[in-house]
Amino acid sequence: MANIRDVAKKAGVSVATVSRVLNHPNTVSPTTMEYVLSVIKELNYTPNGLARSLALNKTNTIALLIPNILNPLYMEIAKGVEDVAHKKGYNTLLCNTEESQKKEADYIDMLIKRRVDGLILTASLLNKEEIQQIKKQDITLVMIGKNKNVKHGSVVFTDYMLGGYIATKHLIEIGYKRIAHISGAVHQIENQEKRAGYEKALKENNLPIDKRYIVEGNNEIEGGYLAAKKLLQLKCKPEAIFVANDLMAFGAIDAIKSEGLRIPEDIAIVGFDNIEMSALVEPKLTTVSQPAYKMGLLSARLLFDHIENGDDEEHVHQEIFLQPKLKVRKSCGHEERVREIFS
Amino acid sequence: MDLSVNFMGLQLKNPIMVASSPLTRNGEAMKKAIEAGAGAVITETITSEIRRSVKPCLASNEFGMQNIYFFSEYALEDWEYEIEQAKDCGGTVIANIVAYSASEMAYIAKRVEKFGADAVELCLSTPYGDGIEVLASEPEKVYEFVDEVVKAVEIPVMVKLSPSVNNVAKLAKAAEKAGAAAISGINTIRSILGVDIEKGKTLLPTYGGYSGPAIRPISLAFTATVAQATNLPICGIGGIDTYYHVLEYMMLGANTVQICTSAILNGYGHIRKLIQDLEKWMKDHHYESFEQIRGKALDSLKSFEEMKVEPYIADVADDENDTGGKEYESSCVYGAIYRNENRLKVDPEKCTGCGLCANRWPDIFKMIWKE
Repeated sequence: MANIRDVAKKAGVSVATVSRVLNHPNTVSPTTMEYVLSVIKELNYTPNGLARSLALNKTNTIALLIPNILNPLYMEIAKGVEDVAHKKGYNTLLCNTEESQKKEADYIDMLIKRRVDGLILTASLLNKEEIQQIKKQDITLVMIGKNKNVKHGSVVFTDYMLGGYIATKHLIEIGYKRIAHISGAVHQIENQEKRAGYEKALKENNLPIDKRYIVEGNNEIEGGYLAAKKLLQLKCKPEAIFVANDLMAFGAIDAIKSEGLRIPEDIAIVGFDNIEMSALVEPKLTTVSQPAYKMGLLSARLLFDHIENGDDEEHVHQEIFLQPKLKVRKSCGHEERVREIFS
Repeated sequence: MDLSVNFMGLQLKNPIMVASSPLTRNGEAMKKAIEAGAGAVITETITSEIRRSVKPCLASNEFGMQNIYFFSEYALEDWEYEIEQAKDCGGTVIANIVAYSASEMAYIAKRVEKFGADAVELCLSTPYGDGIEVLASEPEKVYEFVDEVVKAVEIPVMVKLSPSVNNVAKLAKAAEKAGAAAISGINTIRSILGVDIEKGKTLLPTYGGYSGPAIRPISLAFTATVAQATNLPICGIGGIDTYYHVLEYMMLGANTVQICTSAILNGYGHIRKLIQDLEKWMKDHHYESFEQIRGKALDSLKSFEEMKVEPYIADVADDENDTGGKEYESSCVYGAIYRNENRLKVDPEKCTGCGLCANRWPDIFKMIWKE
């Protein structure tokens, strides 16, 4: 197989010139460029990626860390990141942290050793020291969802408290009084915020916050199922449940149906995330949409802004807020639903 | 005759822009518009996320056109190349952008500025789905969006508004306060083009935006209102088919205009024709620049208090022109028009002076003072 020296020899130029043709084409004259490229083609030469990385101190690889590979929400984020990375000629490594701070830190350690050019952390649980560690390594970092230990950095986020608030308020406006909440794992900030939004809506409408109506799930279908079963055992069953993510809402729907109850007639449900499946379950799930694909796209764009433009302030610290939005479907029992394809 | 205008600091060879639409969907299309003579092109709406486009998405009737979903099918990154294409052939390119939060809008604005856009047009008024027309109906929201974008970019920021709001003057003022360089309007109007009554189905499968001649009077009122409420330059949009309509917009205070539907229905060549006709009219009337006619008709706009009640009634101006084919008598809602020995007459006791007959058939009826 031809190497860079063979190309240089055949083209009658230096190795440095061939390298410049490949890496800094704007520094080579068009005639030389065209000739060298024709030789490259003739010899069927492909640059050695490993050697190239060493020389350029760049691996053209970024990593995306997500908390749960089984949750379709994070696949939408991954698609967004990958769409942009591919256009930029980068590989994307996908790492599943399983909501474990330790696993997240382990991954970051490995990724730093592999010299990835940038990191995107989703719903990160890292503490101050761990964040400092990344910053010291001079690796470009973008967050999806806020981490209170990162004070200064680029982040794409949505307002989970507002999301929890609009979901609960919607149920109150329909006329439900006994509204329960199945929360996600409480060590995650987003779940604390969703619950705060739920409580704010109840308080504003003079409804009591009843601890028995707030049950923690584990972010997965099963967690939603078990939490709903628990709520159904109460003497005074809730009329409606705001569930902190769509997967748990699917579990809750399953549990309610298994008790022979109807949705929304007996118990109404509102979820969170608006993953694609939520429009396919029966009844179709009313949910709070967080624009996951867009979050993926924008986080990758921020990352490449930084990688391509270096460390100037404008690119190191950019915050993009995306609006959560209620998608009214069937499971909440709202009757005056306006049917709109694009809403 | 010099057709050039300075708009938001941009020197344009003429005031005719091509609006954000399939006519400007990519570099190649924008090139066609520029070659047809457009003073500037406004890109199809650039978003941070491409959403699937429904087909078919256009339909028209005798008054105008409905579209559903005119957002770009090109990713944000791709627009770097597309804008470059249009700039390469000497065009002025304004990037139309839409986003659902101020920070997202500012981010896209920064990107397109980097791609070489000469200005941005913030679309705060899309009529599709549940769009953001709700956001843009509140002055506070308009201020928030415009403020954040103006702070983020150096290029001029034009704000595209909708008439489907309570008080458009307040919105325009909010944009002005936040540092907007111009107001454009109107956006298309939320619409359903029609129903196929045999199938019991709407013509297009969702609400869309209505454009074309039917919305021109609405947009003329918008232009005049913004001209009276703010000091901002205005880009008038809506139902411009001929040079005549361009002049109407200008006399009500517009500095520039955007055309769309007529060029979609008749091709890019329509743009060239319109510019030629405009130049001819200006020459024929011995005007040297548009500044001489801009806002000319605003003075004739009066509030109800200012208007004098004058004792007008209709009279027959020339019944020689009456070919007998029209039922003038039955067309008067007050029953004032009648025939006497085959001659048209207006009964001065019955005529209230509404003026409709003189407006419809100026060759036959005229308005006079009641003796």
